[in-house]
Amino acid sequence: MGHVRGFLEYSRKNASYKPVTERIKNYKEFVEYLSDENIQVQASRCMDCGVPFCHSNGCPVYNLIPEWNDLVFKGKWKEALERLEMTNFLPEITGRICPAPCESSCTLSINDSPVSIKQIELAIIEKGFQNGWVKPHPPENETGRKIAVIGSGPAGLTAASSLRRLGHEVTLFDKSEQVGGLLRYGIPDFKLEKYIIDRRVNLMKEEGIKFETDVNIGEDLSARYLQKSFDVILLTMGAERPRDLRVPGRGFEGIHFAMEYLIQSNKYVSGETEKERIISAGNKTVLVIGGGDTGSDCVGTAHRQGAKKVYQFEIMPKPLDWKHQSNPAWPAWPVILRTSSSHQEGAERDWSILTKSFSGRGISVEQVHCIRVEWQKDKKTGIPKMVEIPGSEFSLKVDLVLLAMGFVHVDHNKLLSDLKVELDEKDNIKINEKYATSVPGVYAAGDSSIGASLVVRAIFHGLQAARSIHEYLKTRK
Amino acid sequence: MKDGLYSPLYEHDSCGVGFVVNVNGKPDHKIVQDGVTILKNLAHRGALGGDLKTGDGAGMIVQIPHDFFLKVLKEAGFTLPEKGNYGVGFLFLPQQKEKRNEAKNIIKEVIKEEGAKLLGFRVVPVEPDCLGEMAREVMPFMEQVFIICPPLVGAKLERKLYLIRKAVEKAASKKKYSIDDFYIPSFSSRTIVYKGMFVAPQFESFFPDLADKDFKSAIALIHQRYSTNTFPSWPLAQPFRYLAHNGEINTLRGNANKMNARESTFSSDLFGKDIKKLFPVIVPGGSDSAMLDNGFELLVSAGRTLEHSMMMMIPEAFGTKYHISADKRAFYEYHAAIMEPWDGPAAVAFTNGTKVGAILDRNGLRPARYVITRKGKVVMASEVGVLDIPPEDVLEKGRLAPGKMILVDTLLKRVRKDNEIKAAVSRQKPYRRWLEKNRIELKGLFQAPGPVEVKTGSLLTRQKIFGFTLEELNMIITPMAENAQEPVSSMGDDEAPAVLSDRPQGLTRYFKQLFAQVTNPPIDPYRENLVMSLMSFIGRERNLLDETPRHCHQLKLPHPVLTNEDMIKLKNADIEGLKTVVIPMVFDVNKKEKGLEQALERLCVSAEEKVDEGCSIVIISDKGIDRDRAPIPSLLASAAVHHHLVRRSKRHLTGLIVETGEAKNVMDFATLIGFGASAVNPYLSFETLAQLKEKNDLSDDLTLESAIENYITAIKKGLLKIMSKMGVSTIRSYRGAQIFEAIGLSSDLINKYFPNTPSRIEGVGLGIIAKETLLRHKNAFNDEASGNDILDSGGHYHYRRFSEKHLLTSDAIVFIQKAIKENDYGLYKQFAALINEQSKNLCTLRGLFKFKSAKEVPLEEVESVESIIKRFVSSAMSFGSISKEAHETIAIAMNRLGAASNSGEGGEDEERYKPLPGGDSMMSAVKQVASGRFGVNSSYLINSRELQIKMAQGAKPGEGGQLPGHKVNEVIAKVRYSTPGVMLISPPPHHDIYSIEDLAQLIFDLKNANPSARVSVKLVSEVGVGTVAAGVAKGKADMVLVSGGDGGTGASPISSIKYAGIPWEIGLAETQQTLVRNKLRDRIRVQVDGQLRTGRDVVIGALLGAEEFGFGTISLVTMGCVMMRKCHLNTCPVGVATQDEKLRKRFAGKPEYLINYMRFVAAEVRELMAQLGFRTMDEMVGQVDRLQVNEAIKHWKTNGLDFSKVLLKPELPKGGSLRCIKKQEHDFSYFLDDQLIKKAKESLEKKKPVRINMSIRNRNRTVGATLSSEVSKKYGSKGLPNETIHCKFTGVAGQSFGAFLARGITFELEGDANDYLGKGLSGGRIILYPSKKALFRPQDNIVTGNVNLFGATGGEVFIHGMAGERFAVRNSGAVAVVEGVGDHGCEYMTGGRVVVLGRTGVNFAAGMSGGIAYVLDENQLFDTRCNLDMVDLEPLEDDKEIKFLYKIIKKHVDLTGSQYAARILHDWEGMLPRFVKVMPGDYRKALERIRKEASRETEVVAMTEEVYG
Repeated sequence: MGHVRGFLEYSRKNASYKPVTERIKNYKEFVEYLSDENIQVQASRCMDCGVPFCHSNGCPVYNLIPEWNDLVFKGKWKEALERLEMTNFLPEITGRICPAPCESSCTLSINDSPVSIKQIELAIIEKGFQNGWVKPHPPENETGRKIAVIGSGPAGLTAASSLRRLGHEVTLFDKSEQVGGLLRYGIPDFKLEKYIIDRRVNLMKEEGIKFETDVNIGEDLSARYLQKSFDVILLTMGAERPRDLRVPGRGFEGIHFAMEYLIQSNKYVSGETEKERIISAGNKTVLVIGGGDTGSDCVGTAHRQGAKKVYQFEIMPKPLDWKHQSNPAWPAWPVILRTSSSHQEGAERDWSILTKSFSGRGISVEQVHCIRVEWQKDKKTGIPKMVEIPGSEFSLKVDLVLLAMGFVHVDHNKLLSDLKVELDEKDNIKINEKYATSVPGVYAAGDSSIGASLVVRAIFHGLQAARSIHEYLKTRK
Repeated sequence: MKDGLYSPLYEHDSCGVGFVVNVNGKPDHKIVQDGVTILKNLAHRGALGGDLKTGDGAGMIVQIPHDFFLKVLKEAGFTLPEKGNYGVGFLFLPQQKEKRNEAKNIIKEVIKEEGAKLLGFRVVPVEPDCLGEMAREVMPFMEQVFIICPPLVGAKLERKLYLIRKAVEKAASKKKYSIDDFYIPSFSSRTIVYKGMFVAPQFESFFPDLADKDFKSAIALIHQRYSTNTFPSWPLAQPFRYLAHNGEINTLRGNANKMNARESTFSSDLFGKDIKKLFPVIVPGGSDSAMLDNGFELLVSAGRTLEHSMMMMIPEAFGTKYHISADKRAFYEYHAAIMEPWDGPAAVAFTNGTKVGAILDRNGLRPARYVITRKGKVVMASEVGVLDIPPEDVLEKGRLAPGKMILVDTLLKRVRKDNEIKAAVSRQKPYRRWLEKNRIELKGLFQAPGPVEVKTGSLLTRQKIFGFTLEELNMIITPMAENAQEPVSSMGDDEAPAVLSDRPQGLTRYFKQLFAQVTNPPIDPYRENLVMSLMSFIGRERNLLDETPRHCHQLKLPHPVLTNEDMIKLKNADIEGLKTVVIPMVFDVNKKEKGLEQALERLCVSAEEKVDEGCSIVIISDKGIDRDRAPIPSLLASAAVHHHLVRRSKRHLTGLIVETGEAKNVMDFATLIGFGASAVNPYLSFETLAQLKEKNDLSDDLTLESAIENYITAIKKGLLKIMSKMGVSTIRSYRGAQIFEAIGLSSDLINKYFPNTPSRIEGVGLGIIAKETLLRHKNAFNDEASGNDILDSGGHYHYRRFSEKHLLTSDAIVFIQKAIKENDYGLYKQFAALINEQSKNLCTLRGLFKFKSAKEVPLEEVESVESIIKRFVSSAMSFGSISKEAHETIAIAMNRLGAASNSGEGGEDEERYKPLPGGDSMMSAVKQVASGRFGVNSSYLINSRELQIKMAQGAKPGEGGQLPGHKVNEVIAKVRYSTPGVMLISPPPHHDIYSIEDLAQLIFDLKNANPSARVSVKLVSEVGVGTVAAGVAKGKADMVLVSGGDGGTGASPISSIKYAGIPWEIGLAETQQTLVRNKLRDRIRVQVDGQLRTGRDVVIGALLGAEEFGFGTISLVTMGCVMMRKCHLNTCPVGVATQDEKLRKRFAGKPEYLINYMRFVAAEVRELMAQLGFRTMDEMVGQVDRLQVNEAIKHWKTNGLDFSKVLLKPELPKGGSLRCIKKQEHDFSYFLDDQLIKKAKESLEKKKPVRINMSIRNRNRTVGATLSSEVSKKYGSKGLPNETIHCKFTGVAGQSFGAFLARGITFELEGDANDYLGKGLSGGRIILYPSKKALFRPQDNIVTGNVNLFGATGGEVFIHGMAGERFAVRNSGAVAVVEGVGDHGCEYMTGGRVVVLGRTGVNFAAGMSGGIAYVLDENQLFDTRCNLDMVDLEPLEDDKEIKFLYKIIKKHVDLTGSQYAARILHDWEGMLPRFVKVMPGDYRKALERIRKEASRETEVVAMTEEVYG
């Protein structure tokens, strides 16, 4: 460890944002990163813990955070990159959009502000790209085994990359026109510009991974064909089925799932579609229902499309308004009020609101009708129960409603039914600890097997599944 | 007697020795009587067994009482030739008649064969009634045999008798007689030994012979034994044939092996062909002292004089810091090439019947006082006052200084002192010339290292093969290269032992260092390194029994770490007599285990062949590894070659150099050398350093050359430290001494390659070792192939997921912290499951245990949580290592529970003794007494329920520590009685405990200082801890704490955390087994600690024999500790282990948290008890048969483990017990304080002054401690007004005179004092002057013993006369005037003033960080005797100081009547310039800072080589 008292001498610094007025003019990334020197200072705050909670408790891919923090502090960027790449295949993605549970569990979070781990991670990988240190690693030997990876989100990309480096022939299928899945179509450019995905995909292509896009497996290619042509099939198609709001008036036009909205916007930004063909918030009063990250992305997108006013309602109560940099729930992820960059751009947020119905004029939605609720703990079970507050009903005039209430499970498409993979109690693909489904030779990883979760978790599962598949193939001569 | 974990090999003994002699050689009966008297007066240095009657042994060597034998043999029917012309054998024979006759027949036959003539046998009359039952049961039948061997007389006869005895021994052993059946205590024409299992008073009544007036001798050499065990063994009583030994030979294993090896080259004109009859010279099965006697006997019999032989075996230190003659230095260096020292604390008295003498080892840690009388008698003994000698008869009073000898030659009728003896011996041959001409010093060897050639291409692969990790590079190698010392870490070791690790481990990780505790003192390798040496000769040794110039024609190595250039020079050296050969140390990977075994065999055979061909240096090298060849683990290879050559008696013919890529850290080197390597070349570490330099991973200003030098220095320091832990001074005797214990290696492997190394739970064999090596090898090459060019993280020191397993994972920490904060037992259970259910995370030996099913009892019938908790303590953590907030919170919590917290060794603020409003108390119930004695005064001791003597601590047993100055803030300084900003050093040993009887003395001291507190002794698990515990029980401690070697909270050197001490499961089991079998368990409680976490741990501890349980690390975790392992850096981010104000504010612990935790653990214990069918804890203690091994846990390395020895339930002896059921019986028959307290009643109550007069003798020990406790109880440390209680004593005071003497009490002693005068002086005043009738000059004579004023915190001492070694060691506040001191004066002093009006020994002021000494330096040589590392010497110029000095000397004159001091004052102007002021640098700075009142914490934390505990 380089600097013993770094954490006492320096305070936490994070990347800053461009001014709101400027940034909402376009979809470009608006984060202004710290300089190398500043990053090194921030890295010196790492205490090199005997039990590094960031690594072992926070980070889902178990990044060797203290090790690369130290290397960055010493200016050894290239070695830092080497150790970062040991655990994380997509650091340029997590470095931008990961909620950074590592920082919540950083030991400094107990009573101080955590090390800016995410910024350091990003700085390392970007420096790697700048200097040409990030290189394709085509395998030295081919095993001749063929693997089909279905779905090119973070789990699929990671698994494909890892399997390819082990010498297998990997084909990555995606139903969309371009690779990246949720990364490309679900996350707005202002959070993740798409050249970043292209940059990674190009490397993977150089490693020899085949990409088959615009192919809907199960429809365009049959499951049977796939099983015959490949030694292993890995399902990484995400948990696409959104949670719906079943209330009167749901059928009015102008009520959309958030993902539908975001995908169209992203396609417009990338030029895959025209402005006229997308759902637009332009000059509209927008209500986003659901207070999570997707909702927040809708808020930011709506502003960029020129929304008149944006509301965001959440059914759960307002979380603890925690002004400190420390984590009250250390090392766990704290339930506290978070204000995202999109929120800073303007949104009226409210909590403990239940949507009762929509009313409209003609076929279009015009009003939402809500009631305030209270959450009471059940005396016996301790489970919080929602109770409506009499007389708290209110209505709001809206032009566009975006439902960002999460996802329920993997899409139950024809591929799954043809493959006859078993589902678990949550209707996701059932896997064992080796990521194998109930069908021999078929594996699953990421959201499609665990339900919607973090990108970084998908990366981990992709990596682990790849290792399991490799072991599996070794046993089958 | 060797089943379970107990083995007689681990027994220790120590004791009192002495002799009395008529210098003119005239035998008389009085000398024999005096001998008996001395024995009686040393009785308190011996001990009693479980039956409280069986002594550990006592005996006497006398000259053959010719007149007596003439008289008694007339009745036996045969006559004797002239005095000296016949031999007498004392025989211990079987009681059973037939067996006895058979034994006697053996003797008769041998006598016949050897051409001698039997005169007859005499049955020795004995009176066994006085004996203890245990002794009587195994008492031998005693006879004496008389023979002649005409025409042999004198030395020739003596040699013949030696041969006959050896032949008898051999014949007896062939007929399966053990030494307990048939033993010959002496067989000589000059001396005879009477000895047995006695305590002193039984001795003369047992042998009526001794009372006979015709039983005369000019010499009586006596020994009183204190053994840690009580299995009676008559033969092991001392003296042996030539000597009696008080101490411990630590390097015995190596010495014996080397002696055996050398036998092949023995030749002697004196013995001719007969020489072979002497083999084995060292008789197996003897004690260390017995083997020392065997070796000594050989050297003497083969023609060397007594004094020459002693100088070879126990050489004094001759390093450059000693001012000794060139010839003497040459003598020692020459002999270093012939024989290694028999190292360890030793006071040895020896005689051949005409000469009698005594010698102290180089460390001088045993007391040896002598008196020469005007009437021509010399009395030498461990204490003064053992014989009443009228003061006017005393010619000289002295003590043996370290390494010195005294000899009385009754033929010359002279007393010969050290200088005279050694000058004569050193010049008897031209050793200096021989050495200059013959010793080989390769030119350029050990010069500054040159460039290192790095084979970059393969470096990474090779690093991986040899187990280098990122962690090893960052945390070990780099700090060593940067700071030239081993790095420090903290918070113990919770990693899985090597045998439970899932990943391939280096062989070194299976070994643990042994360390000294109680039975022998560790050395301070920093402050006392002048006694230590890494120099050795390697090459071809010659006939031990001869001396020629060629004997030293060997390569001299200043230390055992060779650079790459050294290797090149060695390999290319063209010097006659220095022939080197390199043998590859690799094996064929394709042949797997077989390949390894064959390669080892080949290696051994070719090494032997090369030795036969005349190679004097064999280099074994693993440089030849490649894809098909893996390295043989270097430790395995070198131990195999070493032992192969030992078995073939050829080891001494060659040096063995290991050229290996595996040696990285200190432990690697320590094991290689400890198992026999002569030197090591760690070439890959050097290459790694070069790589680090190239990559700019080292400081810019550090050149590669200095990095390598620093690295080597760090290794050297580390070696010295590991040696010092065991009390070993020289690498020559450390080499091959095998001071290690294995955990998890099979006995097949051990017996073949590491014979005689303890390995008690069996474990892996060669197959797994091969597999581990091959795994690393394979992975490395696989990585190379797949382009994976990254070094593994490591995970040994800092936790890494998917790496080494640790007990406290982040999950476990989260669960427990949440559980205690939310008072949620369910969460606790989740935590406990993580720890207890080890199928997934197997980290501890107990993880492999399970409970046998039993009939359950209802939970409500089981002892309550409240009652169980009373057995819990929070383990010792000093205030200083942890923050005030943490320390006090823990104390409050434990007090609320009615359990106990432990102060640790840092003292305690008196404020905490007062209860808090609301009923809480911050007082630690257990007060620790550690080697530093910080804040240990009368008041501290009386305010406690338990006094704990810390002999060792889990994190770094056998080591001292230091609290860096920047951590010593105002509050810490206050409670430790020191100065803010001044570094505080804890010495490695307690300077009042160098052996077991010293510990008994300290226990006695503490009992006196607080009669109502129980006294406990903290030990750390290692092989033999059970026998030490037995010794502790016999020393009358009330409780013994067995700590695991893995525990520990504070900071320690990393190799100590990892490699010293073993898991408590084994140590506790051994302790229980030994105590039960010795019938000692009934009187002592047993506590266990070390990584205890859950109720299951507690129950397993109880079943293995513990009554009480300590929680250290986990207590801190409840206070917020998250295992940062940063205690040593003062940067604990949760305010637990830091003194930084800012960080302390972050402390968020609460008493409730710890309370909740303790309650949870107790609740879990209760549930388990119900399940096991125990209603009370008492029922459960020691029921080890309720544990079994959990066969369900499968692990690739654990198959070979065998816990049968650990899980053995010892057979309960008649009247024995599995747990403590009664109190120790203390002997207060020589207790004076009750009278003092009675007489001082009014003073104590009303502060009324009183004067008391009393006589005193050496058996009155620790006088004043209880009286002081009465003062402190009432008045605290402020005490009474000066001179309130004035006691005048006349006579010779026993040990610890005036210990902990409280303010207001004055002790005036006319006479002499023994060791530890003024120990822990707490404000009182002691005045000592010789008897007014004495005629000697006090300033030239020793009037008081060693280690005076140890740990004094205040008061005054005036001594008219000289004191022994280590005067005022660790003094922190007393003012003393003395007229001369021995070696190591004012060592570790932190405060107070010491005035020395005369000579000092060497190493004055070592480790002195505070206080001031004024020394009268008459011959301007003081600076050569002073250790200048930490102090400056200055003239006295300040008026105030001069005035102080004058006044205090004036006071000295007034109080003691010293004419010597009066003369100094008389010529004050002339004398003043000769005074030197000894001023510690730190202290001056601190004083200046205080003066400026600007004490700010500005210093940046520095890594220190060792830290506080």
